[in-house]
Amino acid sequence: MNRFASFAKYTAMIIIAIISIIPIVWMITGASRPYEELFKYSNSFNIHLFVPVHPTLQNFKDVIFNERNPFLTYIGNTLFVAAIVTVLVLLINSMAAFAFAKLRFRGKAIVFALFMSAMIIPGEVTLVPNYLLMHAFGWLDSYKALIIPSMLSVFGIFLLRQFFAEIPDEILEAAKIDGATMPRTFARIVLPAAVPPMITLGLMTFLGNWDSYLWPLIVINDDKKQMIQVAIAAFSSAEGTDWSKILAASTISTVPILILFLFLQRYYIQGITASGVKG
Amino acid sequence: MASPTTAAKPAANIVPKKKRHSSLRNEEMTAWWFVLPAFALLLIFVFYPMLQAFIISFQNYNLVGGTKTFVGLDNYKTLITDHSFLASLGHSFYFAIIVIPIQTIISLGMALLIQKKVVATGLFRTLYFIPVVISTAVAATVFKLIYNKEYGLLNNFLELLHLPTTNFLSNPDTAMNGVIMLGMWKAVGFFMIIFLAGLNNIPQDLYEAARVDGASKIQQFFRITLPLLNRTTAFVVIITTIDAIKISGLVFVLTNGGPNGATETAVFYIYQMAFKQMQMGYGTAAAFILFAIVLAISLVQMRLFRNQDY
Repeated sequence: MNRFASFAKYTAMIIIAIISIIPIVWMITGASRPYEELFKYSNSFNIHLFVPVHPTLQNFKDVIFNERNPFLTYIGNTLFVAAIVTVLVLLINSMAAFAFAKLRFRGKAIVFALFMSAMIIPGEVTLVPNYLLMHAFGWLDSYKALIIPSMLSVFGIFLLRQFFAEIPDEILEAAKIDGATMPRTFARIVLPAAVPPMITLGLMTFLGNWDSYLWPLIVINDDKKQMIQVAIAAFSSAEGTDWSKILAASTISTVPILILFLFLQRYYIQGITASGVKG
Repeated sequence: MASPTTAAKPAANIVPKKKRHSSLRNEEMTAWWFVLPAFALLLIFVFYPMLQAFIISFQNYNLVGGTKTFVGLDNYKTLITDHSFLASLGHSFYFAIIVIPIQTIISLGMALLIQKKVVATGLFRTLYFIPVVISTAVAATVFKLIYNKEYGLLNNFLELLHLPTTNFLSNPDTAMNGVIMLGMWKAVGFFMIIFLAGLNNIPQDLYEAARVDGASKIQQFFRITLPLLNRTTAFVVIITTIDAIKISGLVFVLTNGGPNGATETAVFYIYQMAFKQMQMGYGTAAAFILFAIVLAISLVQMRLFRNQDY
């Protein structure tokens, strides 16, 4: 009975694993097949459903060197925006989190409550006024519209504050006695002590920006400035039937992010756990 | 920023009390400088737009003509009799009602499966989590093909099991189920991790005591695991509800609201109204109604879970 239970358990684990990754494996292998081959083996279950018979890089070449849909440009745009947003999110929100965790000032409780109450305001409600704000600032069709409103992370402040609160006050006192200013203490003592949560927040911000769809769709009109997700969606509805190329484009936009995740997954998962347990 | 410090120095040795006072003032100034950037962003991009949204929702606001007129509660009155808005809310609710229980049970099950550290649990955890990282647009694009009636992987598999095949997305009756399956595929890994964290917080000696008392695994699960997971489950259910009712990204790429509007969700409708038809006031009023519904449901859920506290 026990052996049966553990067999059933492993079977379930393997089936779930297959369901989790088959679409991605299929996407990557499908992208490296010639178009004629893509559906040839789809009506039976054999090894060639997943292993290309004539592997090719042509689809990737076609997608990358396509004049009309320059995917490397879209990836470059997205990398640029996501990297800047990530750096700024880390800087601005760690500063606020530090003040909330370690500094005394009048009105702290109220200001912190204001920040936390912002968590229940969904982006959908403020979509239109934020768009109008971008319009009024003249930021439509520029990366400012993607970067500046994204610099605030209320969740980030919440997360980092928990970590900063655990830094012993004695260390900060010692730095003060040694004549260090507050910004210096923050940069030299507090931030280096908070590397894991900073990586967590950084990775979450980066992935969130890589995945953002609705906001870029609304504020960016110029095709050359577009973000990768909007480009992928537009590409797959424009190319319609050329599935090999669609899969190649999807693969190109997925692989870098997948590699980044695999390297830093420990932190990313820790961050999610921290948010869950405290909720 | 620096002036209070220099002012305090000469007095430092003589009147310690005064020094403490001015160093507190110094700290206060510094604190405000640290909070200021985030606070400015909060006011400009969250609270001001929220206030604006409230005002716009009482207006007939057309961006193209630049016209805005105050119409009072008209937008709200029209919305509650607007069939396509009500239908879009219906689709969002359908999504939520199916997804909340199934997704919660599956993600808890997955967490239980990989909770005990045995060979390769780390690998399984990573594999289960990968769909969470895959971007919405890519996942939806790939699933479009997986659902395809002739070539799709899913129908291929159904055929193998001698089950009826269908193109989930082109049939109005099943299209939403297609969206649901993709949504769950992408999200279960996330909630599995949260359940895993909750499970690891349950003290192991409770299980030992139960074992000594002769409790079966099933009894242990219902008497110990579930009650002690109450907080985690509450978190998962509330977040799932909010996400489910606000579902939009998947719909945009997977079905674009079709076929026949069968997968138009509330956020999709808001986008259509505000940015395609340029009826900003009407779209914003719809967003407010959605917000009120989500808030009310979350509050009720929080209440329910709190009452069940052990």
